[in-house]
Amino acid sequence: MSQEVKVCVLFGFGINCDRETAAVFEMVGGVSERVHVNRLVQGERTLSEFDILAVPGGFSFGDHLGSGRLLGNRLRFALREQLQQFVTDGKPIIGICNGFQALVKTGLLPGPADASLEPDLIQRASLTLNNTGRYEDRWVTLEFDPHSPCIWTKNIQRIECPVRHGEGRFVMPTEQDLDNLDNNHLLTVRYVDPTTPAGEGIQDELLSFPMSPNGSMRNIAGICDATGLVFGLMPHPEAFYSMWLHPEHTSMDLGENWEGEGLQIFRNAVEYVRSQR
Amino acid sequence: MNCVWVGTMTVQEVRVEVTPLQTEGMRDVLGDVVQRQLFADHGVDVGKVRSIRGYLIRSNYTAEQIDAHVQDIFSDPIIEYGATNTSLLEDQTFFPQPPSLTVTVGFKPGVTDNPGAAANDGFKVLFPEGESSISTYISYAFLELHDGIDHAWVASTLFNGLIEKSILTTREQLETNQAMSLTYPERPTIERQVPSIINLEVSDDELLRLSTEGLLALNLNEMQTIRDHYRDETTRGARSAVGISPDSPTDVELECLAQTWSEHCKHKIFASKIHHIDTETNEDTTIDSLFKTHIMKPTHDMAKEVDWLLSVFHDNSGVIAWNDDWSICMKAETHNSPSALDPYGGAMTGIVGVNRDILGTGLGARPIANTDVFCFGPPDWSGELPSTLFHPSRVLRGVHAGVRVGGNESGIPTINGSIVFDERYIGKPLVYCGTVGLMPRKLADGRESHEKNPTPGDLVYMVGGRVGSDGIHGATFSSLELTDESPSSAVQIGDPITQKKMMDMLLEARDACLITCTTDNGAGGLSSSIGEMAEYTNGCEIDLGKVPLKQEGLSSWEILVSESQERMTVAVSPKDRDAFEALAHLHEVEATQVATFTDTGYFHVKHGEETVAYLPITFLHDGVPQLELESEWIPPHHEAFVPPSELNQTTLLTEMLARPNIASKETWVRQYDHEVIAQTVVKPFVGVERDGPGDAGLIAPIHGDSQGLVVSCGIAPRYSDIDAGAMVAASIDEAVRNAVCVGVDIDKMAGLDNFCWPDPIESEKTPDGKFKLAQLVRANRELERVCRAYRLPCVSGKDSMKNDYGVWPNKISIPPTMLFSLFGNQPDVRKTATSNFKHHGERIYLVGMTHNELGASEVAFHLRERGDANGIGGQVPLLENPSEQLEVYRKLSNCIQSGLIRTAHDCSEGGLAVALAEMCIGGRCGAFIDIDGIGTGDAFTRLWSESLGRIVVSVEAEHELAFVEMMEGADIHLIGMVSSSSELLIEDGYDTLIQADVEELTQSWKGALDMTGAIE
Repeated sequence: MSQEVKVCVLFGFGINCDRETAAVFEMVGGVSERVHVNRLVQGERTLSEFDILAVPGGFSFGDHLGSGRLLGNRLRFALREQLQQFVTDGKPIIGICNGFQALVKTGLLPGPADASLEPDLIQRASLTLNNTGRYEDRWVTLEFDPHSPCIWTKNIQRIECPVRHGEGRFVMPTEQDLDNLDNNHLLTVRYVDPTTPAGEGIQDELLSFPMSPNGSMRNIAGICDATGLVFGLMPHPEAFYSMWLHPEHTSMDLGENWEGEGLQIFRNAVEYVRSQR
Repeated sequence: MNCVWVGTMTVQEVRVEVTPLQTEGMRDVLGDVVQRQLFADHGVDVGKVRSIRGYLIRSNYTAEQIDAHVQDIFSDPIIEYGATNTSLLEDQTFFPQPPSLTVTVGFKPGVTDNPGAAANDGFKVLFPEGESSISTYISYAFLELHDGIDHAWVASTLFNGLIEKSILTTREQLETNQAMSLTYPERPTIERQVPSIINLEVSDDELLRLSTEGLLALNLNEMQTIRDHYRDETTRGARSAVGISPDSPTDVELECLAQTWSEHCKHKIFASKIHHIDTETNEDTTIDSLFKTHIMKPTHDMAKEVDWLLSVFHDNSGVIAWNDDWSICMKAETHNSPSALDPYGGAMTGIVGVNRDILGTGLGARPIANTDVFCFGPPDWSGELPSTLFHPSRVLRGVHAGVRVGGNESGIPTINGSIVFDERYIGKPLVYCGTVGLMPRKLADGRESHEKNPTPGDLVYMVGGRVGSDGIHGATFSSLELTDESPSSAVQIGDPITQKKMMDMLLEARDACLITCTTDNGAGGLSSSIGEMAEYTNGCEIDLGKVPLKQEGLSSWEILVSESQERMTVAVSPKDRDAFEALAHLHEVEATQVATFTDTGYFHVKHGEETVAYLPITFLHDGVPQLELESEWIPPHHEAFVPPSELNQTTLLTEMLARPNIASKETWVRQYDHEVIAQTVVKPFVGVERDGPGDAGLIAPIHGDSQGLVVSCGIAPRYSDIDAGAMVAASIDEAVRNAVCVGVDIDKMAGLDNFCWPDPIESEKTPDGKFKLAQLVRANRELERVCRAYRLPCVSGKDSMKNDYGVWPNKISIPPTMLFSLFGNQPDVRKTATSNFKHHGERIYLVGMTHNELGASEVAFHLRERGDANGIGGQVPLLENPSEQLEVYRKLSNCIQSGLIRTAHDCSEGGLAVALAEMCIGGRCGAFIDIDGIGTGDAFTRLWSESLGRIVVSVEAEHELAFVEMMEGADIHLIGMVSSSSELLIEDGYDTLIQADVEELTQSWKGALDMTGAIE
């Protein structure tokens, strides 16, 4: 078996963060390939060739009919078996921004309550218009649930990175739905108040704008499925691969250490794949 | 519902309506936004608003079949409710009481309906059989509208009658079952007209009438030149041989010539012969082409001295070598007339249009950054407004939304821009859209990608969207002044996703070495794009019958000149036909071969077997006669600006920060994605709260590599009131200053000049044409002088020369405006600077001298508007010695590149006082400043003068000495220190001028253009 960790980065139909998403996996030792959705649909390529699947950000199908919905449909109806097999094989999937929206609307996130169940592709949550009604690009502070089973976020406590969305408000029908996820530590990452001490930022009570940029229930920025392998988030960790992308880098004394805080997420997945061999 | 028999298939029409759930935790954000914006823009509270989205589906499927999948396609099961063939307005679950007013807005026939196209795409995944099409609408339900609010006014704020239709439904109508619903926007069937023959052997008056009534925008001399072409015996012989009317043009030919020879495409004013008189100096001279004399020649001279100018002027954008592996190109365009008619659609097609210029440069460059500069009327305008014009706040919202959607959905970050306000832009807003592109120096097969290399026999494809009747006459229309009768067909809505798919496909085709030549379809449509490319091989043969249409029945001339969006023209070698078409199929992009390159010397257009146009390539491109124009400079008189003797400068600073030209545009700019592609190093907002102003955009486009690219701009239209030449010099200097502030490589900068002028041709309509042309002459002379001194080649540019509204004497003309955009190398983005003060104790220096240059300054306009001054006249800022100035910039850039300076901000509108306030706002810190000795003039002058060449920097004490040494020979003034207080204190010797709380300054600066309506 090849030692390469092969990453399939989807593109096409308005996905637009595919280049940087491919680049950050390369920076942490993966071998990325940008693969047009239709190459998988038409059978020219298959997901089984890859170890990791990334669904990047963008404006698939212009976000009409709800962000991620139409891309989610293409995945749900045209790639159903391939996706189910990928998850069943225990391979990591990440959806960022529009990719997260697509995974939620596909039903891969949050997925069935129990890790032992097959992915059923039933939608249980949604991402809807920001309370402000505005698309915005701004940096936020994120904190991670240390007990989450998510393989992507191990040993990461708090990072900054940008959000760039108009439909990032995470909602579920009932409080019970949210409690169920929370109890299993699937509410992997939340928006937090940057003035709180690291490790103490997570709270259920709604943060004010712009600390929570969208009014998400319980300040949720991203979730994982019960297996911990499928992870999605609205913010863009790939957009903070280097410190020179930080808004205040001209105020910092960085010396030679220019790695951005976002990179560790991608390194975790590549190392996870290696550890399973 | 409705059934229509088409052949043997039954086409069903099914209506689906969707509305947000109203359960705990759910919101109707679209409704909330309508409520907030009406309050922010007009102070009117319309109460709670709810929204319903509607879909009219025409397909072979029944309502029952579709109903089973409503949640799979149209409504989100978690947040929305959707139903088929039901009026949700009448559903008591959602509307227990009928709303007092409902405004339903749908598209007019033929207008691009992006949600409809996307819905149809989703529909076909589940319902693949047969043809289907979907039209969308949206209803805004005002639950309890106050009695005093006019229904028609509310509706008028929600739609544009040029492209949309609306229905108003009152509570009474709902209660008595008299509500109407929107129907599918049916295109009227049209029948193709066979090409007609136009007789030009008529009187001169008749020739002019043909031009005016046909919207050809050709003058008499041009019409006569065309007539004479058909008198030529050789022409007649050649035409007979191909079976086209020998002695008269077809309508196809006349339209094609009108597009190709339009001011928009041929820049006839810049190419004209100008007789120029200067009454100040008694100069009396003739200029043979402003463009060749003052723009092209200087750049070509500079090209002899550097090795990095790869392609200038002749392609869709100018290209420079950035390093050994990559080249960079940039182009800026304007989309003023379309944006005046439909701000949203006009601006969106502006940005996606200039993206295509980049995609059409060389063999195709990838757009990596956008810039947007807008000029509008004051957003709080309460004066008179001609009935056909939109209120400036509506223009602002519409243009901003169009550019936001166009840029964001295309995945291109907007990294730099500006918004300028002046009353005269009410008549015609200026919408400048720029795009930077990146391409590999060489392709895999060794060809240089900035060069096109088609050969006769290559196949010419039209790729992307289809051709419709939308967008006919854009080029000629933009060459006329705007009136009440301006045609709606000139307005289009962009479709960024169709274009994004096309872009993905064409870049893959480029990298697979499948493209020999490409250009975009913009003004003039296929007639321009194929016509221009045919110059490379000296001929082409087009078959209009092959062109895919949005609607059957278009006539030949319409197909040829339609400017329908999202189209590229691409040439492919015959051997690569299959690979190219397979790639198009994969990306779900339509690509149709419509022409073949030849070397016959003719632009040969057929429709099926019939020849409908047969024009010599040389006549088409070089046949337009040179205009001869008159120019006369008489300096305008302005009453001198005299500030009042008693003034509270602290209050004045607070007011100045709230001037729309100075105030923060954060609400607007933050809605642009400025970070997609993960490359943006200096963002539009900087500082501790990330809300201080960024001076220039700085990106590191190659992931993991710290070599940077700077993008900046300068614009200063106010100075045109006194001298358009000074306006140009100030614009260029501002762009360079901004670039220096982030550490640009002074030896590798290139510029773009984008002129927007009022009509400068003297006529009955324009009695002051000679003066406006003299302004243009002075502007061009300054452009040459400053660019030569700065060694800053203009590599691409554009002009828009008819920016007027209405008819003399009630004509509104814009102030002559030139946007100067700059792109340049930055050696290492890890060493750059931002405008925010960083730490307590940093020493603050002003680089550059301050002179008494308050003419047409922002403070002069402010005090005049406030009634505290009578005039704005006086000395405008001058750039007396740009060569010396360049050396100062070089030293400062070196300081930034060596890491000594990490804080720099340029002084522009509002002078030193405003610059210092902005630096304090960015750092949320105070400063002690003493402006004694920084230049000439009294304290007022030194605070507010807008002298060029000035940059404020702060330096850590440990680097101060090194900084002073590196700046040796330059005028630098130690003016103060960053303090740990929250107060900006500005003194002049022993006099305290300004003592301001930084938090209050922040509120003033950020609040003025917030316009969010404040509700969350």
